Amino acid sequence: MEKERKSMNSSLLSEMSRRSFVKLLTAGGAAAMLHGGLLTPKAFAGPAKTAGGCKAFHSACQRNCYDTCAMLSYVDDGVLKYVEGDKQSTFTNGGLCVKGYSYPRRVYSPDRIKYPMKQIGRGTGNWKRISWEEAIDSICDKILSIKKEDGHLLGLALDKNSGSEGITNCAVIQGLFTGLGYTTRFEGSNCWPAGYDAQYFDFGDMVCNDPEDLANAGYIILWGVNPAWTSIHTMKFIYAAKERGAKVVCIDPVLTQTAAKCDEYLAPKMGTDGALALGMARHILDLGLADRGWVADNALGFPEFEQYLREKVTVQWAAEETGIPAETIARIAEEFAKAKPATAWIGYGLQRHTNGGRAVRSIDALVAMTGNVGKKGGGARYGQEFTWDFEYWPKSKMSPPAGSIGFVNPAKQKPGEPTVYSNRSLNRNQAAREMRKADPKIRMLWVSCSNPMSQYPNRNEMEKMYRGLDMLVVVDQFFTQTAELADIVLPTTTQFEEWQVNVSYWHYWLAINEQCIEPLFEAKPNTVISALVSKRMNELSPGSCTYQQDLTPKECMIRNFNDTIHKLNGISSWEDLLKGPVKAKRNPVSWAEGKFKTPSGKYEFLSAKAAEYGHPALPEYHSRRPNHDKFVILTPHTKFGLHSQFINLDWMRDFNPEPCVYINPNSARSKNIVSGDMVRVYNKFGEVAVKAQVTDNVPEDTLLMYEAWFKNDKFNVQNVLDDAVADMGAYQFGGHRGPAIQEQFANVEKM
Amino acid sequence: MQESQHEAQTLASLRDFFIAQDGAELEAAVGRLPEDLKSAVPAVPDWDAAEFDFNRFFVGPRILAAPPYASVYLSPEPQVMGEAALEARRIYAALGLQSPFDARLPDDHLSLELDALRIMQGGLSHTPSEPLKELRDCFVHEHLNVWVPLFARRVRMVAPEHTIIRFMADAVERCVESVAESKGRF
Ligand code: SF4
Repeated sequence: MEKERKSMNSSLLSEMSRRSFVKLLTAGGAAAMLHGGLLTPKAFAGPAKTAGGCKAFHSACQRNCYDTCAMLSYVDDGVLKYVEGDKQSTFTNGGLCVKGYSYPRRVYSPDRIKYPMKQIGRGTGNWKRISWEEAIDSICDKILSIKKEDGHLLGLALDKNSGSEGITNCAVIQGLFTGLGYTTRFEGSNCWPAGYDAQYFDFGDMVCNDPEDLANAGYIILWGVNPAWTSIHTMKFIYAAKERGAKVVCIDPVLTQTAAKCDEYLAPKMGTDGALALGMARHILDLGLADRGWVADNALGFPEFEQYLREKVTVQWAAEETGIPAETIARIAEEFAKAKPATAWIGYGLQRHTNGGRAVRSIDALVAMTGNVGKKGGGARYGQEFTWDFEYWPKSKMSPPAGSIGFVNPAKQKPGEPTVYSNRSLNRNQAAREMRKADPKIRMLWVSCSNPMSQYPNRNEMEKMYRGLDMLVVVDQFFTQTAELADIVLPTTTQFEEWQVNVSYWHYWLAINEQCIEPLFEAKPNTVISALVSKRMNELSPGSCTYQQDLTPKECMIRNFNDTIHKLNGISSWEDLLKGPVKAKRNPVSWAEGKFKTPSGKYEFLSAKAAEYGHPALPEYHSRRPNHDKFVILTPHTKFGLHSQFINLDWMRDFNPEPCVYINPNSARSKNIVSGDMVRVYNKFGEVAVKAQVTDNVPEDTLLMYEAWFKNDKFNVQNVLDDAVADMGAYQFGGHRGPAIQEQFANVEKM
Repeated sequence: MQESQHEAQTLASLRDFFIAQDGAELEAAVGRLPEDLKSAVPAVPDWDAAEFDFNRFFVGPRILAAPPYASVYLSPEPQVMGEAALEARRIYAALGLQSPFDARLPDDHLSLELDALRIMQGGLSHTPSEPLKELRDCFVHEHLNVWVPLFARRVRMVAPEHTIIRFMADAVERCVESVAESKGRF
């Protein structure tokens, strides 16, 4: 019925648009009706349509996705009508993913958080609307009372994560917190620390070839990555390579859509990717296919690696470990070594293991020993951050107020020297554990660009910790499972309502994001929210916050540009980006000069740095941790969301209306489960109730549930995940190892 | 009380109710209903608790049980700031009026629309004008009286804890219906 309704009589409306009744209304005595009403007189300016139809603005998707698409947003009459990919970016090339096209649904979702709200009783659902002034007052009062009672602000914690990857969002809230004093920060990354460290040990940096260069590859291994879902724009370069004759192999325990599109698919047992890479390396040695010239000129420790392979690794051993037949391992290894150039794209799945960093080092070694590092169409691709050299203003420029007391790191404090204070840093991958043992206690937590309740493991413990806080402030666009526990929620803007600038951790493009519509309801950008806090802090207690108090979001964005960014991207000012996105002027081939950033300046098969951090110097294999329950649980990314974002939108729900656990037919049979049954997935940490889907896309020992946040649904995979950490991550992430979230175990039963 | 005054008072009270920011404003809005309607208002023992319920239905931060925006009901796919919001904006512009919230509050918020209706009715009661009447009829028949019943039905379906919420949703439905039925008056 709703769909059948036509618009209001449009010819009448356009007729009326040319008239104004205001004189009639006032002359006729209706002036009194205006008094005390809501609507106000307006100088009649005719219809407010944009002349010539929609106006296009430059935008960028900032949802922490490989693709970080440069977009064009079309606005008419102040309303965002539709979006598309920007053709000026050869990476985006005019397309977006299904999530990207749904952006107007996100902006205009009736579900958005609209006003600052205060919850009366944590988790009760009893919310009061409050003004921004009242919200900021309550927040500042609490901060000042913590400072007064504790003598410092270590009881105030910040969890700002990557839900909104605009550069100012990466910098402003931390800037505010530094401006307040020394505080506690949840740090580390849920994404890539183990593999990131591995690449730092091997190469001295994490840099990848331009993904557009995948088109030049002769052989591609997609290792633990599912770009058909998570980086659709990269798929076209993979297809281009295929059209030129390249073979594409997918290695994944799950038969993903990417796997289905590849020439060959290998499904190793969970957590055995390192053994597979090493088995391949051994076979390459045996065939004499190692590129000895390249390793002699460019690498350190190849003889030791060779010795390790000859003593400890055989193809047969790799076959037993991985479950992949020895002939297959040998054949793939030979093909990889002979194809020039060959490349491996290492996904973020296989390193989320207790042996994940080592697995990445083993794959790096495989690529390096075949002489594919520093080659067009080659490389061990993981990610890059060289395009991210912004100012991170004001985070980088803030100092705590004079006299602030902070955390004293015993490892850094030298006896007899003046006390050195710093922020206290806690690992977000073990947030519940870290909160429980934190001394001094965390009393107040500010969460922004993040939904920890749906993203962090050990959720039941997390909830207990959150419930013990004096105050939880959540800044978000939607009412997530974290917001449910908040005392105060503050509505924040979407990218269409604020200025931003964006780069990817994968491709080399830089795009500006213009504000193209006014913020809906009372949403404010993080820049503005931070300034409001600073202003009020200083009103209540002069000098209590050094953060800016009066800078527009656009000016804040401009301040993040510097000469490095200008030079790298061949621009003279940020304003050049108003013409369209630009690509870094850099060799698309990483390590082409053979100069590495390791201590030796060479590619390091043998890494003293790795040993310094407690790992074997060589990429040796280590088995994953033993099962503590019947099934392995995998919780990868879904096609219809980015972590816990997008899934709540109506267009996504059309495709993906409810959560499921995917279970192999043999396992389902043994548990008397058929598709559509409600089942309980449980372990010693918690449980989830979810509908079963029987599919042989997942192995027999595995249960798969996509990470998600569905609106009005209690489903949460984090209920059954513990906080085990990966082997690596401590080197580049302030001592904080990555999560081992793909190495989890549970059982299942029919409800 | 004259019929037009009664109607104006009802519309003003409903307008103020659906845009209220707290329990006190809800109570005050209900207090401005004409006497006959007020006497039928269910008892509200705790206006704070009614406010929680009101926010659950119309404000947030949780997913709204019954968003008070026309385009949620009239768009082929529910959203705010849909075509219906722009229609409302054009109606206000034709009247020489505008929303004080600019684009921050969708123009088709129930309270803004009730205010527009109140002003149109007021104008017509003083000065008959065929074009204005035509505009009012179009607004009521093709817009308000299409979505407000859907909105009120949604409120009834989700069954608020506090009967005052349902009472006011029913009242707004009846009020719009009665303007629609009284086609010809003014
Ligand atoms: S989610 Fe990724 S692929 Fe989709 S529009 Fe955003 S950046 Fe592009």
